[in-house]
Amino acid sequence: MTALALALVIPWAVGILLVLLDGRRRLVGWLAVAALAANLVALAVLAAKVLPEGQLTVTTGNWPAGVGITLRADPLGVLFAVLSALALLAAVVHEVLDGVRERVFPGLVVLLSAGLSGVFLTGDVFNFYVFFELSMTAAYILATYGGTRRELGAALVFTAVNLLGTFVFLLSVAGLYHVTGTLDMGRIAIRAADVDPNAAILIAVGFFVAFSVKLGLFPFHFWLPTVYTGARPAVAVILSGGLANIGAYGLLRFGGELLPDELALAGTALVVIGCASIVYGGVLAVSRRTSSEMLAYSAIGQVGYVLAAIGVGGQIGFAAAIAYTVVNALNKTLLFLTVGVRGAIVGAVFALGALSIAGVPPAAGFVGKLELFRAAAGEPAVLVLFLLGSALSFVYAFQIYQFDFWRGERTGAASARAQQALVAVVALVVLAAGLWPEPLLALSHDAAAVLARAPG
Amino acid sequence: MNLVFALAAATLFGTGAYLLLHRDLVRVVLGIVVISQAAVLTLIASGLTRGAAPIYPLTKRALSDPLSQAMALTAIVIGLAVTALLLVLVLRVVRAYESREIDEVAAEEADRDAQLERREAREHEDEEAAAR
Repeated sequence: MTALALALVIPWAVGILLVLLDGRRRLVGWLAVAALAANLVALAVLAAKVLPEGQLTVTTGNWPAGVGITLRADPLGVLFAVLSALALLAAVVHEVLDGVRERVFPGLVVLLSAGLSGVFLTGDVFNFYVFFELSMTAAYILATYGGTRRELGAALVFTAVNLLGTFVFLLSVAGLYHVTGTLDMGRIAIRAADVDPNAAILIAVGFFVAFSVKLGLFPFHFWLPTVYTGARPAVAVILSGGLANIGAYGLLRFGGELLPDELALAGTALVVIGCASIVYGGVLAVSRRTSSEMLAYSAIGQVGYVLAAIGVGGQIGFAAAIAYTVVNALNKTLLFLTVGVRGAIVGAVFALGALSIAGVPPAAGFVGKLELFRAAAGEPAVLVLFLLGSALSFVYAFQIYQFDFWRGERTGAASARAQQALVAVVALVVLAAGLWPEPLLALSHDAAAVLARAPG
Repeated sequence: MNLVFALAAATLFGTGAYLLLHRDLVRVVLGIVVISQAAVLTLIASGLTRGAAPIYPLTKRALSDPLSQAMALTAIVIGLAVTALLLVLVLRVVRAYESREIDEVAAEEADRDAQLERREAREHEDEEAAAR
């Protein structure tokens, strides 16, 4: 209970304070790092408590249950919260070492982490929207970070498209409240089975569109390449490693737990869209020549795997989707971080990230891909497409490796030792998850069990 | 009554979507504002009961659902903040590009990409020549 409250209050309070201070000063930057680290510790403590017990529910403000807003920590939410906090921490450390350029940057990232913790730990649909909007608003401003024409143009596209997605989400929330008469996720899950299927399908489509826009899935991807290539590396890490997790989490939570019948109905369609995303992202990434553009299109392809696994469904499918989301967020954090770093170790780190994207051992990507293949074992066509996608990712990742490190496009003075150490640490995490996959697999199965237990 | 709400929300959403497709950036912002109003209206319409204002002391008559009103208020406040942010963003883009047309922003992006491609093609040829 205390850990749950601290995970929300620390980043929120510190974030407000930091926004008022001048973030370009070193001290303020390190304060933000300290706040994010404290948030991560609180989440880890919460995870240690939640994982054995299964679930922790708190009703805010001492209201009787059913009246107050419920906060709920379960393995799925805690796993995503810890993952996003890690990505944000890596991004801020990178940027503070590099020298922060705008005064609001550290404060906004801390506020973003408050929003993300809230999104993953709330048990109330409307509260989800509020935290969601908190993190998105911080992200809109972060997308302008750097302040040149490129970033501003990208930020405008990002803001306009994602606001539209948010309002579609809000429309679905209104619909869900009207047909179930409650905002509490647990009770919605129980009552959703009796809802008129016509209404429920419309609501489910609304949620799907909203979260697909966040994820950047194939038909909703158009904003993503501009933004990921236009933004600075640290911001790209925050968007792809932290914020994009909301999309995967939302699809799992709203599809898998709240509207499981509609998800089962749409299973084939989701697999088809996911595979289209894999092929589209892969083919376009092969045609790119710079690492940030390649990563942007690769992001579209990689989330396709997550969607296809959700479409397969069942505990195996959900576990694969969760495991792959974790792996993908780690990959993107690692590779976007290397974009701005120069030095002896960077080539090796990039190669490890490339192996992870392609799903080759010993990197973590192998574990994720293995889970995906296990989930899709019954469907040969999907298996073939997964293999094709993996082959494409192997080609594009190592093509960029050749361009950057063999042709020597990444020349220039080596970055500071600390910068190189940071990417090395993230690389070690990716390597460790590949060499010792049990914790990741156990966590993703625990998290998937939450969804499979849901009634309906 | 539900039909009236549904028609009003649909009209608002359609108008917003139409504005959103315009080239003028201010119209894009207006489109998003109108769509946010469609969402707020839907929130109000999603209330489960209709009747007197739910203010203490409660009357014996049927009361309207306070929860959807609370949600609508929250959504309005968030919408206001986001609109202000979006307008500032448009202002900065206008200052940076000295243009309010989204096409010109896109054209600049395309130019930059084309330059990059040309440079790479040249380098590639140089390398091949060197290899020969």
